This record gives sequence, C-alpha cells and structure tokens, in this order.
Amino acid sequence: MFSQASHNSRVKPVDPVAGSPELLVRISELIEDLSADHVDLLKAFHRIQHEFGYLPHEAVPLLAGKFRTTPAIIFGTIDFYSEVRTAPAAETTVEWCSGPACLLKGSLNIRRALEAILECEMNRTSSNGNFGLRLVQCDGTCHLAPLVRQDGRYIGPLTVSESIEWARRLKGEDGAVQTEGEGASAEEESSQTAQKVESE
Amino acid sequence: MTLPTYKEMRQQADEVWTRTARPARTLIKVGVATCSRVVGAEETLETLRREVQARRLDADVMLTGCLGLCYAEPLVEVIRPSVPGILYQHMTADKVASLLETAVVADGIAREHALAVMGDKESGGLPSLGSLEFMRGQVRRLMANCGVTDPESIDHYLARGGYEGLVRALRLKPVEVIDEVKKSGLWGRGGAAFSTGLKWEFLYNAKRKPKYLICNADEGDPGSFVNRNLMESDPQLLVEGMIIGGYATEADKGYIYIRDEYPLPVERMELAVAQARERGLVGEGILGSDFSFELEVVRGAGSYVCGDETGLLSSLEDRRGMPKIKPPFPAQAGVFAMPSNINNVESYTNVPLIMRHGADWWAEMGSEKHKGTKMFSLSGQIQRVGILEVPLGTPTSDVVMRMGGGPPKGRKLKAVQPGGPLSGVIPASDVDIPLEPDPYRERGVLMGSGGLVILDDTNCIVDLCVYFEWFAEDESCGRCTTCFAGTRRMLEILRRISSGRGRLADLELIKLLGSIAQNANCFHGQGAPTAVMSMFRFFEGELLEHVERKRCPAKVCRGLVRYEVLHHSDRLPAAEAICPTNAVVRDNGTYRIDQLKCIKCDACREQAPYAIAVVDEFAPA
Repeated sequence: MFSQASHNSRVKPVDPVAGSPELLVRISELIEDLSADHVDLLKAFHRIQHEFGYLPHEAVPLLAGKFRTTPAIIFGTIDFYSEVRTAPAAETTVEWCSGPACLLKGSLNIRRALEAILECEMNRTSSNGNFGLRLVQCDGTCHLAPLVRQDGRYIGPLTVSESIEWARRLKGEDGAVQTEGEGASAEEESSQTAQKVESE
Repeated sequence: MTLPTYKEMRQQADEVWTRTARPARTLIKVGVATCSRVVGAEETLETLRREVQARRLDADVMLTGCLGLCYAEPLVEVIRPSVPGILYQHMTADKVASLLETAVVADGIAREHALAVMGDKESGGLPSLGSLEFMRGQVRRLMANCGVTDPESIDHYLARGGYEGLVRALRLKPVEVIDEVKKSGLWGRGGAAFSTGLKWEFLYNAKRKPKYLICNADEGDPGSFVNRNLMESDPQLLVEGMIIGGYATEADKGYIYIRDEYPLPVERMELAVAQARERGLVGEGILGSDFSFELEVVRGAGSYVCGDETGLLSSLEDRRGMPKIKPPFPAQAGVFAMPSNINNVESYTNVPLIMRHGADWWAEMGSEKHKGTKMFSLSGQIQRVGILEVPLGTPTSDVVMRMGGGPPKGRKLKAVQPGGPLSGVIPASDVDIPLEPDPYRERGVLMGSGGLVILDDTNCIVDLCVYFEWFAEDESCGRCTTCFAGTRRMLEILRRISSGRGRLADLELIKLLGSIAQNANCFHGQGAPTAVMSMFRFFEGELLEHVERKRCPAKVCRGLVRYEVLHHSDRLPAAEAICPTNAVVRDNGTYRIDQLKCIKCDACREQAPYAIAVVDEFAPA
C-alpha cells in the first residue's frame, strides 16, 4: 500500500563554513529584508526554493542567524514541511496525487505501475537519477481524477493502461518493447514524448 | 495624496462594470481558476485574445472566475449586446476558431459546444443555467460573483455591492457589529461549528495590543476545494470580511494563511489586498475613519496540521507547525503570545453579506437551527464534479444524487464522506439526512468543511480507512504519543487486515486505539479514528468479511485478490504487452499470470476484460 518511508532522510550534516561564497552571498541577499517574528521564515523558504529549486543546506546557518535561533530549530522547521525540498529535484519528476477522489478511482494501481516502470519508489529518485516520483496532496482538481502531474502539467483522467503507455514514452521506451542501449538517445526521445503529451 | 471616498469609488466602479454587464459589443468571458487552468483555460484565453485581434473582430475578451461547474471546464461565455450570454463547455484552445466563426462572426450559437443560456430563462432552444440539474436548488450568495466578475478587478466587486457592508459597519460601534453577526447565527464553517460572533467577542474583550485576526485558508482536507474557489474567483469578498472582522474586534493586523498547494489563490489574494490598499480600504484610516488595519497573505509550505488553529499559529511564528496546548486560547494568547482570532475563509466571507443586507435577510436561508448557506465540493465517484452552494439543511441526497448526478451509470452509491479524512463516512441508507451538523453528529460523523467525497460499490471501505489512517499518520505532528504512535499502530492493523492476515482480536484493538486517541491534544489526533469508527458502525459486515473469510467484496484490497486468466481471448497479447512487470506469461500458446511477478495493477484486465479476472485469493473463485 502506501510506502512507509514517505519522508526521505533529508537532513544532512552541515558544515557551518561550507558553501561557495557566491551561494552564501546570494542567499543572504534573498533574505536581506526578512526578520524574526514577522511571519517571514516561510517567505524565506519560498524565495530560496524559487531561486535554486530546492533549499541548499548551506542556507540553514544563515537562516538561523537571521531568525535569531539555532540551526537545529531551522532544520526541524524545514523537515516539518513536505513542500520544502532539501535536494535538487530529478530531471523529470512525476507527481502522483494521493487524494481520496483519485484513490477511489484507482490511483493505487497507477502508482504500482509507475513505480515498476520508472524503477523508482515513491518519494525517491530512480537509480540513474533521471526520474523522481513524488507524492502530492489533493488540490481539488478532482474532475481529472485519477491524475498525475509532470512539470506542472496535469494528466488525467488516466486508466492504468494509459498511465503505463505514458510512462513508457516518458522513459523513451518504444511501445511495450524494451529497447536495448538507452542512454544518449533516451533524452531526445523523451523530449519528443513531451510534445506528444502536450497535444493530447 | 487624498484617497477617494466610497461614493467616488463606487461611481467609477459602476462605469467600469456597465461595460461588462451591458456591453456595447460582443464580450467573451473565459473562466480561469485552478480547476479550469489544469484543462487549458489559460491557453483558451490567450488564443481568444490573439484570434480576436488577428481577425479584427468587434469583441472584447475578459477574464473571470469559476462558476463551480468543474465537470464542464474550460467554460467560455459569449455575450452579444442586449442578449443573455451563452455558456460554452469544454472550450479548449483548439475549439476557439470554430467558436468565433459561429458565435461571433456569424452571430449564431455554436450548438455542439453550448451548455446553457445565462440566467433563468431558456432561449434559442438552450436550457437556462438555472435549470441545469447541477444549478437547480442552489442559492448563490457567497458565490454570487464567482464566474461573473473579473476576480482581478476591485471595480467589479465594488459595483456589485462590494464594501457596502464595510461602510455600514464603520457607522456602527464594534460591539454593534459583533451583535449583528451574533444575531445572524453564523457559525464557523471550518468544521467546529462554533459561533463566529462569540469568538469575535472573546477577541474584542481581550485587553492587550496588538491583536491579530487570522484567516485559515489552509484548506488541507483532501477532496475539499470550496475555499480555493472563493479566493480565486472573488478574493475581495474575503478582504472585506477580514476588514469588518478587524473593525469589530479592534484588531491591528490580519494574516491570510493559504496552503502551498494553492498557487493561484495566493496570487489573486495578494493582488486583491494590494488593490484594496491602493483604494485606502486596507492600511491607515480606512475610508476616512480612524480605524487602521493591515493585511498580509502568507503562503504555507505543505502541512495538514497547519490547518488546525493552533498549528497555524505555530507556523506563523517561524516554527514547526505543531498545534499548541490549550488553554491559553488564541483569544488570550495566540500568535506571538498576543490575542488572536482564527476563522475559516467561508466564515469571514459571510460577514460582508450580513453587514450589507442585515442579519435578518441572511438568516432567511437555512434550516430551523442552522442559518445561511454553505458551499460544498463534490468529488470521487460522481458524474458532475464541482462546487455548489446550498442552504444548510438541504438533504444530502439532493446534492449528491440530483445535483451531482450520483455515481457513474450502472453503479450504486455506497457511502458519502462529508468533509475531510477526520470526518468519517455515512452509508448510502442515510443519504437523505439534511446537510447540517446535528444529524451527522448523531451518527458519529463530522460535517466538516464541505468536501463531499462519494463512494460507490466498486470501492472498499477497508481500503479507504487504510488511506485515512495513512494520511493521519503521515501528517501527525509528533507531539502526542496517542496520535503519532496510535495512528501508526492503527495503520499497521488495518494493513494487516487488508493483506489477509487480520484476526478477530484486531477489532477490539482498533476500538481501543480509537478511544485512546481521544486523549490527543488537538483535533487531528482525536479525529483520526473517526472513519474507522464509522466503518465499525455502518460496514461491520464488510469488515468481518475481510477478517473472517479473508475476502474483499469489492475486490480492491491487494492482499485478498489475485489476477487469473480464466478464458481465452485475442486481447491477451495486448495484456501481455501492457504488463509493466512481464507477469502475463505465454506457455505453448496459452496464457497464465506469474503470481510472483504480478503487482496487481489491473492493466491486463483493462486490456483483456473477458479473459482476465480478479478472483479471491483465499476463497474458491
């Protein structure tokens, strides 16, 4: 059923002087005008994540200083929120909606199929680093249930077969036949598939 | 800089609105909200704008909000001068050219896409919008502007009576405003159903300053999306409600806390607040009075318990969003240990209507005990997914079976989950009960925030409970052992049952866990077992079938079913091709399923429904 390991072991040990000077300067700039007790920490997370795509761990000591608290408290806060990511996302992230409307319409079947095809567990990145699967919460687009999202594009309602075909195209496999020698050509093909899906 | 008075603003707004309400040339409205955006409404809007310009058509294109008919999105309304507008459904960008050709150039009706005529009168052989099953019986007060005005225009809101409520409130004393709200009988729409006026009085009576007014727009209940629609289709209504609330409680600052999953509402609320500030409706000396109120939009970061009022407070205080221990209550020591008040979006948005039309008008709608209207969202196994607004006390069956159209054809209603994973479920036999808190409470269920999720006979109640417990466990903040360990234990037991290893002793264990959970600090822990308890109450037979006979009647629970090739069919090669794990094996021309490889994803049965069947794992097929 649902993966028990839904929280990645996201917290990495931090070296207070790590990080390139440019990175630290940029983060400092981003949080320049924020301060403690002004409902600003969430704003800081969003700004940094918007800039880098994730929250680099180098930001933690800076945030701790800015918000007059300890790095541990900042870590704890980051870890609490599921939409704050502490590692760069995979090249292609497939988001799977966990909501009840999708569930009742068979989203678990889709999840099993996606995990098998992308060779990737939920909330993990595949071993070659190309694909990530992410569990997301319901945002009320239930007329598309069961749905998956890829780069902000909503794809649904899906049957299991459709989701399998879609995932295979995404992966660059031709139809049902497993092709040898992926690698360089896989990337080209996946960009073609993106166009295909868009036109659907 | 002198700010305009209300009268001046209204005059200007009326001029702007007249161009939309009685357009001199063709006006095309495109509804863009989250539900339509995901099916391409933005592309439709862009294409329309481009095409109208390229063809030099005598027409304007306008953005509007969402009418709540999610099942028909994207919706486009074409209004020709002095004729009621015609609503077109499923208008994706590729249909724009043909629509313009028929509806604008040829001045006719594009019948193949037309859904209805706006208003209550049918014309041209099309039904009126009000006569559609989905709309009939709805009373749109909160949603009056949704899909009608431009959510990004404060003028549209003003011209439709916006901020009249604030003007009237400012003429009264704060206590009188609170009295008016109390008189209306408005209670908190977030689920707890506590009197809004009384809550405001607590904050008003708090002596310390500054005081905070907080809007809980962290609509985290999966399957609820009514607040989202209000914020993206009529954001000014919430702004006005918050300002009136601020005046009545003498608060200094307001926060609107919106969940991270709602980017468009964040965008539109921020714009709405900025526009209101420009007009002097937010900030110092509002509308020339000596009342000042600041308003800020805060974006969450993905946490369900931040929708609990004290969890939200912790989140605002730059910490983990863990619910606090009460007392002290927020009215004594809330955010930053200062007096605070927290209400749901729908609670605040009712207030401008109460102040504009008076408490008596507002209380005309609703049942004997529960006044006003309430918005509900419909999702799950239902034909018409959407958002509607009905008077409280409307029979649940009226909303689910008639307006929503009930489950897909050929299926039977099984249960309705009224509002969020902590609310429980009611069985199909009880679907006639009125939509108000009391009848639900009698059945051990909470009416909640209004996200109706519908189950039909293809769904398994144990499977749904596994989901609810997983959700409760995943989102537990970790403070109370009864919650974080209790939900985990509950989940383990339910998973055991759904995998075929359930035992009778488990049932007692679940009940025990359910009662222990009541000792949790916040409602997340206390409400976590509600769904499981309603399963005991209404679906005990189905549960026992899982435990005693190791059978899942709906054939959903993965551990209790397996896939088998029962017949031969020429669809079997397709099933072999689709299988993601190569579990459909061909031996000497016959097919079988390799049970060790099979992940039970159902794809092969979709391809070869005649040949492949789901059979009970432990009982004879």
